[in-house]
Amino acid sequence: MARSTETGASDGRAHDERRHRWRALLRGTLDRRALPVLATGTVLVLLGIFYYPVATVFVESVVVDGRVTLSVFWAVLSDPFYFGEPARLLTGTPPTAVLDSVLSGDPRLGVVGFTAYQAALSSVASVALGLPAAYLLARYEFPGRRTLRSLTILPFVLPSIMVAVGFVATFGRNGTLNTVLGAVGLGQVDLLFTLEAVIIAHAFYNAPLVARVTTAAWESVDASAVETARSLGASPTRAFRDVVAPQLYPSVVLGAVLTFVFTFGTFPIVLALGGFELATVEVFVYRLVRDLEYAEAAALALVELAISLSLLYGYLRYEARHSISSDGIRPLPRRPIVPPSLSLRELLPRAGLAAYSVVALAVFVAPIASMVYASLTGPNGATLAHYEFLLERQASGASFQVQPWDAVRNSLLFAAAALAVALPMGVVVAVLTTRRYRGRKVLDVVAMAPLAVSGIIVGLGLLRGLVFGVEVGGTRLAVGGALAIVAAHAVAGYPFVVRTVAPGLEGLDRSLVESARALGASRARVLADIELPLVWPAVVAGAAFAVAISIGEFSATIVLASGTSQFTMPIAIERFIGRRLGPATAMGVVLLVVTSASFLVIDRLGGETDAL
Amino acid sequence: MKRRTFLTAAGATVATTVAGCSGIAGESEPDDERTLVVGTYSAFIDAPSTSPGAWLKEQFESEFDARLIWQTPENEVNHYIERKNAGVDTETDVYVGLNVDDLVRIDDQLDDGLFAEAGDVEGADSVKSQLSFDPDNRAVPFDTGYVSLVYDGTSMTAPETFEGLLAEDVAGDLIAQNPASSATGRAFLLHTVAAFGPDGYLDYWADLQANDVRVLGSWSDAYSAWSAGEAPMVVSYSTDQVFADRNDANLEKHQIRFLNDQGYANPEGMAVFADANEPELAREFMSFLLRPEVQGEIAVRNVAFPATTDAALPEDYAELAKEPPEPVTFTYDELQGSVSGWIEAWERQFAEN
Repeated sequence: MARSTETGASDGRAHDERRHRWRALLRGTLDRRALPVLATGTVLVLLGIFYYPVATVFVESVVVDGRVTLSVFWAVLSDPFYFGEPARLLTGTPPTAVLDSVLSGDPRLGVVGFTAYQAALSSVASVALGLPAAYLLARYEFPGRRTLRSLTILPFVLPSIMVAVGFVATFGRNGTLNTVLGAVGLGQVDLLFTLEAVIIAHAFYNAPLVARVTTAAWESVDASAVETARSLGASPTRAFRDVVAPQLYPSVVLGAVLTFVFTFGTFPIVLALGGFELATVEVFVYRLVRDLEYAEAAALALVELAISLSLLYGYLRYEARHSISSDGIRPLPRRPIVPPSLSLRELLPRAGLAAYSVVALAVFVAPIASMVYASLTGPNGATLAHYEFLLERQASGASFQVQPWDAVRNSLLFAAAALAVALPMGVVVAVLTTRRYRGRKVLDVVAMAPLAVSGIIVGLGLLRGLVFGVEVGGTRLAVGGALAIVAAHAVAGYPFVVRTVAPGLEGLDRSLVESARALGASRARVLADIELPLVWPAVVAGAAFAVAISIGEFSATIVLASGTSQFTMPIAIERFIGRRLGPATAMGVVLLVVTSASFLVIDRLGGETDAL
Repeated sequence: MKRRTFLTAAGATVATTVAGCSGIAGESEPDDERTLVVGTYSAFIDAPSTSPGAWLKEQFESEFDARLIWQTPENEVNHYIERKNAGVDTETDVYVGLNVDDLVRIDDQLDDGLFAEAGDVEGADSVKSQLSFDPDNRAVPFDTGYVSLVYDGTSMTAPETFEGLLAEDVAGDLIAQNPASSATGRAFLLHTVAAFGPDGYLDYWADLQANDVRVLGSWSDAYSAWSAGEAPMVVSYSTDQVFADRNDANLEKHQIRFLNDQGYANPEGMAVFADANEPELAREFMSFLLRPEVQGEIAVRNVAFPATTDAALPEDYAELAKEPPEPVTFTYDELQGSVSGWIEAWERQFAEN
C-alpha cells in the first residue's frame, strides 16, 4: 500500500474513512481476483519453467534437419532391443511368429518391457511395505507416533549415492544382514547386484510415499460413518471392508501408480545396486543425451512419458469415480499399542505389526544407520575426521568450492520458498481440476507431467530454454539463479499437493460451498475458510512432499545454479564423493538431520486434526 | 550425423542473476583487470581429497596479474557444444580436461570448431609425443592416467591376462563400470577392443558376462562396492596406492594389475576456445601448466602422471603411482566413426532383455 503523505489533523477523519473504504475495496478485489490471479501465475510458471524448456528437447524427436518426420520414432518403436517381441510386428514379422516367440517361455521383453516389469514389482513391494506402516500410524497411539509419522518421508529425499552406500553396507556380502544371519546360524545371502536389491531399494524410496498418502486418507475417514455401520449390526471387519477400505483404495492406488512412474524413470540406483544387465530406459536416454543423439533420446523419453501419463490418466479416471463424499472429519479413535486385553482379536494385529517392524528395521533403518556409521569410521576405527573435513572446508575452502553450511542454508531457503510457491499452485490446480467440465481429466494429467518426465530431459531443456536464454531484439534474455531454482523445485513438487488435496476437495459436500457463496463469500474466501481446513491433513501431507522434493532435487538445481553460492546439500554430497566414503556420508548425515528437523517442523506447524 | 547451420551468437546476455556468467558454477568478475575463464570438470577444482584448482589459481594470479575464474558445468565439455549449437557465446577462454573421445564427439557435432589450434604454446615441445592425441593440434596434453585393475592382495592374486579373467575361480570377482557414464568403464571396454579387435571383443565380453562380471554405473558405485568387499577386483586407476597411502590404508589391499602388461592411457588435454576473449592469456596459461614444477604439482594434486618429459616430481612418487610396462590407447583416427558403434553394440549385447 502506498503511504499517504497527507498531514494535518483537519483531514484526519476523512482520510481515515477513505483508507477504510480503500482497504475494504482492496480486500474485496483481492478475494474476488485471488483465484484467477493465482491460476494465471501458475500457468505462467509452468510454461516458463517446464513445458517450454521440455518442448525444446522433445521437438527434436520429430524435427530432424528442419523437416518433420516420424522416422526416428519408427526406428525406436520397431527395435526389438527396446520393445521386445511386439516391435517385430512393426517390421513385418507375421503375428503368428511373434505369438510363437511370446509363448515360447522366454520372450524378449526389450528394455522398455523390462523397465515396466521392474517398476511393477517395485510398486507391489512399495505397497506391501507401505501399507502396514500406514495402518500403524493411523490406527495406533504410542509415544513418538507423530515424530515417526513426520520422519516416514525421510528416505524420499536421500540422494541415490547415499542409498547405494547404505544398501551395500546392509545387504552386501559383508553387510549387516549377513552378519546377523551368520550370528543366528543361518546361511549367507548374496542380495547385491540382483533385481531383488533394486526392488528393495525402490521400496525404500517409495514405500514412505505409499505410507504417507494412505495415512493421510486413513486419518480423514469420518468416525461417524463407521459408528453408523456398527450400530446397524456390521462386524468390525465388515465395517472396515465396506466403510473404511473404499476410502483408502484411491490413496493406495495413487501410491502404487506414483511408485511405478518414478521407478519407470529410475536410473542411478539401478546401475549402482543391480548392474548393467538391469539397465532401464533412462540409462539409454542418458547415454544418448551424452552422445548428443537428441532425436533418439527425445523419442525414447517421449515413449517413457506416454506410458507414465497413460497410467496416471487411468488413475485419475479411477479417482474421480471413487471420491467419497464427506462433510467433516472426526477421525477414528486410535488404539493403544499395548493390548488392553489378551484376546486373539487384540493380539493378532499387534503381532503382525511386531513382525513388520523387524522388516522395516532391516529395509529402512539399517541402511540409514549404516550411512551414519560410515560417516563415523575410517580405516582405523572410529573417527570424527569426516566431520572435521566439513568444518575445514567451510573455514578454508575456496570460493569456487562447495561449502557445507552454504549448502544447508540454500537447501532450507529453496525448500521454504518452493513450498510457498508449490502450495498455492497445487491448491489452484486442485480447484480447477475438481470443477465439472469436459476434459478436466486431460488438464489434470497434463498438470501431472512434471512427475513423469525424464529428469535428464528436464535438465537439458532448462539449459537450452532458460540458461542460454532466448534472443529478443538483439539482446539475450537468460534466466538462472535462485528464483529459477525455486520455480523449478515448485514445479517438481506441486503435483503432490494437487494429488493429496484434490480428492478431498472432490469429496466435500457441495452444499457447504454453495451456502457460503450464497451468503456473499468469494470463491477464494470459501476455499481458505471452509474447504482447506476440512482437508487439512492432505494439505500438510502435500506440503511435506513439496519440501522433500525440493531438498532432494539435483538435476535442475545444478543446471540453474549460477555459482557455488547456490549449491544445495545433494550437490555438496555429489562433490564430496571420492575414494573414501567419509566426507560424502558425513554430508549425507547433515542432510538427514536438517531434513528430519524440517519435517518435524512442518508437521508441528500443520498440527493434528484430533481437535476438530 | 546431422549437421546444422547456426544462428550468429547474440551480443549481450541479460541474466536474472547478479553473477557474471549465468548457469555455470563460477564467480562474478570485476572489470579492472584481465580475466581468464577456464572450464574444467569439478573434481579438478573441488575433490574431497586434493585437487589442483586452488593452487593453480593462486600461482597464476600472483604471477600474471590476471584473474582466473574456474567454471565447472555439470555436463562438462558437452555444455560448450550445447552453447555453440544454441548460437550462444561460450564466454570461456580455455578448457582443461579434454580427452580424445570428447574431440571425436565435438567434430561429429559441430561444423566449425569449438576450439582453436593451440598454435605457439611455449613448452609444448616437452610433451611426451605418445600422449599427443589431436591430429588437428588443438588439444595439448597436461596429464595422463592409466586404467588398470586394482585388487585386494590379502584375499587373492589377480590374473595376469584378459583370458585369466574368464577362469572359474575368479567368477564374480570383477567390478567394472558402464562405458557410457564412466571414464574408467570406457577405457576398460576400449582396452578389450584393443586386445581382441573390433570383431572379437563382444565374444570376450559374452564370456566375461558368463563369468559374472559386474558392470555398475559410475566409478564411485564400483569403487565403494569394491571397498566394502563385494568383489576383490575393480577397474580403476593405477595411482590407487597414492590415495591408499595418504589415508594410512593397508597397501596390500590396494594392488595394481596391468592385464597383458598393459594399461589403457587416458591423456587429458587443454585447448583454447575459438571465440575466447583472451586467446593470448589462454596460451600463456597453457604454457604455465606445462612448466616442470607446475606439471609436478598437477600430477601430485590430481593424482595422475605428468604429460611432459621434464616434470619435477617428488622422489618417491613412482613407488606408489604405477606406470604400465606398455601403455595402450586408441588414436583419434581409430576412434572416429567407430567408438559410439563399439559402445552401442556392447550395450545391446550386455543388456539384452
